[in-house]
Amino acid sequence: MAMPHFTLHQPSSLEEALDLMSRHRASMKVLAGGTDLVPKMRAGAIQVEHLISLNRLPGMNRISYLDDDGLVIGCGARLSEVGANAEVRRYYPALAHACSVMATTQIRNMGTVAGNLVNAAPSADTAAPLLAYKASVVLVERGGRRQVPLEKFFEGPGKCAIEHLELLEAIRVPVPLDRSGSCYERLSARSQVDIAGVGVAGFLALDMEGKILAARLALAAVAPTPVRCAECEALLTGHEPSPDLIARAAAAAVRSARPIDDVRATAGYRRAMVHVLAKRVLETCLSQAQGGAR
Amino acid sequence: MAKKTIELIVNGDHYEVAIDPWRTLAEVLREDLRLTGTKIGCNQGDCGACTVIVDGRTVSSCLTLAVECHHREITTIEGLAKSPQELHPLQQAFIDKGAVQCGFCTGGMILSAKHLLDRNPNPDEEQIRKGLSGNLCRCTGYNKIVEAIGHASRQMASCKEG
Amino acid sequence: MNNNPAIIGASLPRLDARDKVTGRSIYVDDMMLPGMLYGALLRSPLPHARIKRIDVSKARALKGVKDVIVGADTPQIRYGNWRLVPQSQDELPLAVDKVRFLGDEVAAVAALDKETAERACQLIEVEYEELPGLFTVEDATAEGAAIIHDDSPGNVSLNRKITYGDLEAGFKRADYVRDDVFTVHAVSHAYMEPCSSIAAPDEGGRVTLWTSTQVPYIVQCLLAATLGLPENHVRVIKPNVGGGFGGKMELRPWEFCAAFMALRTGRPVKFTLNREQELAFGRRRHAMTIHSKVGFTKDGKITAKDFNVLLDGGAYNSMGPTATFLCGNFGAMLYRYPAYRYLGRHVYTNKPPAGAMRGFGAPQALFAAESQMNMAAAELGIDPIELRIINAMETGDEIPEVATISSCGFKESLVKVREMSGWDAKRKEKSPGRGIGVGCYSFISGGVFNWFNTKYNFATAEVRVFEDGTAHLLTMATDIGQGSDHTLRQILAAELGIGIEKIRLTAADTAVTPKADLGTWGSRVTLMSGNAVIDAARKIKEMLIPVIFSQFDLNQIHDVAFEGDRVFAKARPDKGLTFGECVYKALRGRRGEPLTAFGAYTPRNRGLVSPAFSFGAQVAEVEVDQETGLIKVQKMYTAHDCGVPINKMGVEGQLEGSIHMGLGYALMEDFVMKDGRTLNTNFLDYKIPTAQDMPPGESVEIDTYEPEGPFGAKEAGEGLVSPTAPAIAEAVHHATGYRCMDLPITPPKVLKGIGKLK
Repeated sequence: MAMPHFTLHQPSSLEEALDLMSRHRASMKVLAGGTDLVPKMRAGAIQVEHLISLNRLPGMNRISYLDDDGLVIGCGARLSEVGANAEVRRYYPALAHACSVMATTQIRNMGTVAGNLVNAAPSADTAAPLLAYKASVVLVERGGRRQVPLEKFFEGPGKCAIEHLELLEAIRVPVPLDRSGSCYERLSARSQVDIAGVGVAGFLALDMEGKILAARLALAAVAPTPVRCAECEALLTGHEPSPDLIARAAAAAVRSARPIDDVRATAGYRRAMVHVLAKRVLETCLSQAQGGAR
Repeated sequence: MAKKTIELIVNGDHYEVAIDPWRTLAEVLREDLRLTGTKIGCNQGDCGACTVIVDGRTVSSCLTLAVECHHREITTIEGLAKSPQELHPLQQAFIDKGAVQCGFCTGGMILSAKHLLDRNPNPDEEQIRKGLSGNLCRCTGYNKIVEAIGHASRQMASCKEG
Repeated sequence: MNNNPAIIGASLPRLDARDKVTGRSIYVDDMMLPGMLYGALLRSPLPHARIKRIDVSKARALKGVKDVIVGADTPQIRYGNWRLVPQSQDELPLAVDKVRFLGDEVAAVAALDKETAERACQLIEVEYEELPGLFTVEDATAEGAAIIHDDSPGNVSLNRKITYGDLEAGFKRADYVRDDVFTVHAVSHAYMEPCSSIAAPDEGGRVTLWTSTQVPYIVQCLLAATLGLPENHVRVIKPNVGGGFGGKMELRPWEFCAAFMALRTGRPVKFTLNREQELAFGRRRHAMTIHSKVGFTKDGKITAKDFNVLLDGGAYNSMGPTATFLCGNFGAMLYRYPAYRYLGRHVYTNKPPAGAMRGFGAPQALFAAESQMNMAAAELGIDPIELRIINAMETGDEIPEVATISSCGFKESLVKVREMSGWDAKRKEKSPGRGIGVGCYSFISGGVFNWFNTKYNFATAEVRVFEDGTAHLLTMATDIGQGSDHTLRQILAAELGIGIEKIRLTAADTAVTPKADLGTWGSRVTLMSGNAVIDAARKIKEMLIPVIFSQFDLNQIHDVAFEGDRVFAKARPDKGLTFGECVYKALRGRRGEPLTAFGAYTPRNRGLVSPAFSFGAQVAEVEVDQETGLIKVQKMYTAHDCGVPINKMGVEGQLEGSIHMGLGYALMEDFVMKDGRTLNTNFLDYKIPTAQDMPPGESVEIDTYEPEGPFGAKEAGEGLVSPTAPAIAEAVHHATGYRCMDLPITPPKVLKGIGKLK
């Protein structure tokens, strides 16, 4: 298939980008890394007359971390940059891991975390850890900004809460709690370089007595959107961690999954793997949290 | 939908080309600049044969719009050797270690290896394998490629020391 | 004998590698010719349908379109590689009346640019009457099934039988009989270079085709036939090829369309496929259902084997007849079968045709046969390697009327692989999730059977030598990346005693290189083309030897040696000339007639299958995650007999590439299909192993000498793809207790097999 014949706009400020989006609203798409958009355009899955590139916007690829404010990831930040960032690796290891194992080196050098979220694939690798970290996205349009918690962001395969004229300007991730641990695990039939057949991210924080203060578990590729596991989290929160508790929590996680059969895996296998990975992820989170690392 | 005139800096040479904005870097390198060492194996960003280095980072040139590369520094496989006589140590190692068979993936493999060694001059075997994970090869089974990259990294280290 | 150990058996870097690492090597899609048009194909959107009407008027009217063709515009001459059996030739370049798989070529466009050509294809209106689609061999062979080809009622295009020995008596005296059904799946060649062809009109109604092919001579003949031209009107040139593995060994519709439209428009026409098309519509390895029954005595001796195979051929014969034939032969290899019966049936279905693919019937036959050996070993209480040694073929063995094994290092391979892998200890030690397993192979070194019905020699070479000490080797042998050009240069360099860099090579141009050569398939090039090179070189030497005798007035009891760029009396190395001087003097003596010689090889009196057979044994070590079912292959050990390796590094490269392909076949590659449509058409979903999946390996070449091979060499490129899957399957069984009867071995199957998944 041939690429659509579009006009490319390369705005040099956010205002200009938003103006262009508004002016060409009917036939416009936004380009960042292009790793999802270009193949879709080539396959004829997307029609577009005006393509608005974010790649010349100043400061959009920032990755900043402040102890009182948490992490901010600009919409232009490449997956490889996020994965290699020292503070991301230190404070958000599950995100760093997702950013350094998903897709291929070349794709990670091009693709952005923001694009991975806006694309809203059920299998989005960065979504699960960001859900576990309670991230929000900052959406901007000509009229102003709003912040949306990531758990309210995904609406269905390829669908998210971003309005047509909005840009995902940045991702904000709160400072992780003390005595916490987090990790991300994914499965695919081929070493890593793949779309996740199943992905599970977790976050656990302990209180001074060692009880579970906060628990979050998020799943990728096993439901129409990346999802949090409310039942599993409720089961854990406020309790003394034990192998039995983790086993029950992992079993509960499966009930949040609504997997389908597709070319990558069957629903039954995916469900079973949620159980296995949830258990492993929770165990790792717990041992990190008990080790005192945050 | 007029063509855009852009300037590409490829292997140190400046090229001015007027192109349609929807054309990819891989197409422009191959068809307009006639630098055909960049191969198109899948045009889907999955195989790595079209890998080039843009501003120091490997990208899939089949997914990169050429107009987005205006004024950026691009290295293709044709630009890696210092001169026709003096190959890059990676190129020499690929020859010497038998890492080349059909050759279609070779250019992309070598550029991915360069990207790896630029960041990690002394990678272990696992790191090399991970660094190549975006480049598919159907002929060699990768092991000789991995060996060649390890060999080149040691060569480059000893050159620096010497 | 090897008179040049510095060349034969050395690990030599390939001469073509320098251009490949610098991006200078030219593949077909890298070429552009002045005035060139771009082609595109319209394919059937239905798996089985009658074509009622085609209207190309809108496509023709599109600006930039220079030609549009449909089946009715063409000479409609059927083709297929099995010229020996004309009724097996069941393909037309463009469909006429009927389409038989989703992707069958219906029309072609040539336009000023690719985009216009593709858009024009969308404007072609085709009205179809849909017919019932048959997607499994069971459905296709069922009573009352729709008929895919009118001349094959029942949809079986071919039956192949092999029988020898007394089967009934064999099973009667067996103490133990195994009777199993295995199924194996279709996989893609997944060569990295998508197919590409350019045709250009040549003077006098002739045409030149540059194409990514394994078989320039076959393409020349079949293209000429389908165009209705004399063979000599068609010139086929093979530039660099980015892999083939059997997937580029036929005439393809786009080759025909490029040539046909080049002749019609008077301009060059290029077709290049994309990956999606390659995976969705391309040739693949045959899926098979294999019913195998084997009898053993209680001490492990095989008494009889009954081997029944249904091949899922897809919509056309393609290379299916050969795969059917070979599958039966591979079923009888490796072990001594006192009685053997094979029935292979090649079945049409409405899917992309299966064709030749690395191993050519062996990966399927040997997955079944070797798995069954492993299963029998367990039941008999005999170690699997021991059971193989008990039954192993040896040098001199005969398969009645089919083959004689003129060299065989199989037992030695088994002994060696047992030792190098630490088999005995690892096999006994039962740590959960870890396992070790064995698989073996034998393969052909080219085919004896002449299905293409060529009138020429199977392989030829022309050698020219010059007074500057250099030589020129011309051959139609076809390097598709495996390095055969280099191997043939090595053989010539060794024979003439000159440096390999002194040899210019011109290969695979049907108008320039000597007729003929059947191309690259069946691991035939080293043995057959190598023998042709030696034949030509020896004729050159016959022209040079008299020079030395007369120059030095040698007693006729002397022998002449060719070594180190010199020609000299063997016993008196001082009495000699440089190779160049010797050529110069010979040239003078011939009053200027250049020194040129033709060499040829055609296997004669070598049975029905192959002049020589390779053998080997492989051990896989795996670790299985018993919660996820994921399998990590830790290490592969291989001991194999390829005769004398010509280029050790090249042989290792073939081995490692084979393991890669065997690994993908065993664990992750699979076409996901629904109603005749292939759903996984990119490398994200059609998974070939990456560098991270590939295990390290250790290998040993067993020292044998194949009398029929050049310098004792035989095949190394294909056989090795077969043992990997059964070895891994056995290792997984050893690790978990799960026995795979249906490839690939996926994590869900493992979990189900050990009762952890419903």
